[in-house]
Amino acid sequence: MSPIDIGWLSIGALIVLIVVGMPIGVSMLVTSFVSVMFIRSDMVAVRMLGQVANDSLEEYLYAVVPLFVLMGLLVTASGVGRDTFDVFQRLLRRFTAGLGQATVFANAVFAAITGISIASATVFSRVAVPEMIRHGYTRKFATGVVAGSSVLGMLIPPSLLFIVYAVQAEQSVGRMFLAGIGPGFVLAIMFCATIYVLAKTQPKFVFDAEQPLVEQEPINAWAILRMATPIVALIALVLGGLYGGLFNPTEAGAAGAAGALVIALLRRSLNRRTFWKLLVETGQITVSVLFLILAASFFSRMLALSGMPNALAVFLLDGPIGPWGFLLAYIALVIILGFLIDSISIMLIMLPIALPVASAAGFDLIWFGVITIIAIEIGLLTPPFGLSVYTIKAALGDPDLKVGEIFRGAFPFVIAMFVTIAIIVAFPLIATWLPRL
Amino acid sequence: MSDKPAIGVPSGGHHHPVHRIWTLAVDGLAALATAFIAVLMIVICADIVVRNGFGGSLPLVSELGAMMVVLIVALQLPSAIRAGRLAQVEMVIGALEVSQPRLAGLLNALFCLAGAVILGLIAWASFGIFSGDWASGDFIGIPGLGTLPTWPFRGLITLGMSVAAAEFLFKALRYLHASFFSGKGPS
Repeated sequence: MSPIDIGWLSIGALIVLIVVGMPIGVSMLVTSFVSVMFIRSDMVAVRMLGQVANDSLEEYLYAVVPLFVLMGLLVTASGVGRDTFDVFQRLLRRFTAGLGQATVFANAVFAAITGISIASATVFSRVAVPEMIRHGYTRKFATGVVAGSSVLGMLIPPSLLFIVYAVQAEQSVGRMFLAGIGPGFVLAIMFCATIYVLAKTQPKFVFDAEQPLVEQEPINAWAILRMATPIVALIALVLGGLYGGLFNPTEAGAAGAAGALVIALLRRSLNRRTFWKLLVETGQITVSVLFLILAASFFSRMLALSGMPNALAVFLLDGPIGPWGFLLAYIALVIILGFLIDSISIMLIMLPIALPVASAAGFDLIWFGVITIIAIEIGLLTPPFGLSVYTIKAALGDPDLKVGEIFRGAFPFVIAMFVTIAIIVAFPLIATWLPRL
Repeated sequence: MSDKPAIGVPSGGHHHPVHRIWTLAVDGLAALATAFIAVLMIVICADIVVRNGFGGSLPLVSELGAMMVVLIVALQLPSAIRAGRLAQVEMVIGALEVSQPRLAGLLNALFCLAGAVILGLIAWASFGIFSGDWASGDFIGIPGLGTLPTWPFRGLITLGMSVAAAEFLFKALRYLHASFFSGKGPS
């Protein structure tokens, strides 16, 4: 058996193990170990395993993972998300389906201080859904909007997925962040357009039969300013520091976490106990992400050793499929995997195979990353494993609310995401203009 | 992602002193890793202030930060394994737990054994790196500005990975016990 065959077999074995239910990180370690044993020898396999465990995470950049996660949990605990929603709710209430639009905008802004979609989904299901239902929106639409717009969290910097992609593709994190801004903006606009069209053409989907009249508080400029200050300050600190040349990405994470801690302390939303609980939660999320990265770096070293990705590149690009056929097949495969496994695992399994092909095809790897991430995020909204949808269900804790209802509500936003991918494929400048400036 | 107990693993009922000490050890390592996250934030912020405010740079920060990432993972892995927080696809195994609890228990035990073997190999290989670093006096940092030997870090990585492997092994035994000896299916 040639090393290339072993490479293919290992991918097959990996998929079987993952689907049957072996933890994804363990599956990657086991299949890679056995493959290296067959390609080289058992001593080489053990030595590579030790190197991977000791060196692959020894990267200053990865310190950003616990720091951004901590920042996200801190702002969630301190109620900054609620204030952001309130600001947009007051500004946008005269527009068609204004609360839905406010949710999208608030998510887009909140995304600029968190790197994880789950944080946005948790915050806004508790803040925006009850408010929308009180104003006569259907539960299906209210939860669907929150699920859809939580996706913006991974596209608008800082974003955990972009950091992982940047390391895998050897791109600068700062540039990857910039690449997310344009597409994030396009996606937000698409979501707003979707809400507008739904409200005009399918009012039953959006509104309950009778709309209770809720008296509106007058817009108070002072109150809006006070509510907006913390989040604007945090965004200025993190992104301003990063692009003003004061920080590198890791330091932006540390400064952001410290800033979020100060805000939480000023608002008295934290005591020693809750802070420790947040730190423990941060650690648990961090280890589940970084253990996957550790396992995936063994997997990608094994694949490189087998020569399989290069053989695949030659086969795909010289054959009848060509670069664009490859791109379409890749997007389809990523979306299908999104039905089964979580975002970071998809990226870590697909990228070692796809990146050599993409760079042989002459694709801009920054643009390729943006497309990858939007395609991956579609999986957050689709059954059976739409993570955002389950997060909303868990955050609301309403036994009457069926996941199917949220999935149906989120479906229009899935379509909006498909359209956005098509737009970015057709107009790569949306993603590449800012980072290549 | 919640701290739900893994299905089919009886968690209570073990009040043996050895079991209690083991639990304390796993929690202790996790608490150490948790504290490292706070330390990481403070050290990096201090570095920002010193560099932008006083023009100098603290020694060792980036090397130490990188090393601490590895430590956070190695030390927290045992508690993540116990809490069942490693990412996995629950579609097939979840259905089996309902219809074929014994088969599901056996599969889960096999998965845990595979994890125990692979993490055991990592611990063994890390011990090799630890003794190599110990013998050669390997260090991080720049001589004259501040250095730290690497062997304590390698030792902690070895420790964390060994405990994680053992935790997988215990979990496998609990699965086997629950599906073949206690005579009852998953709770």
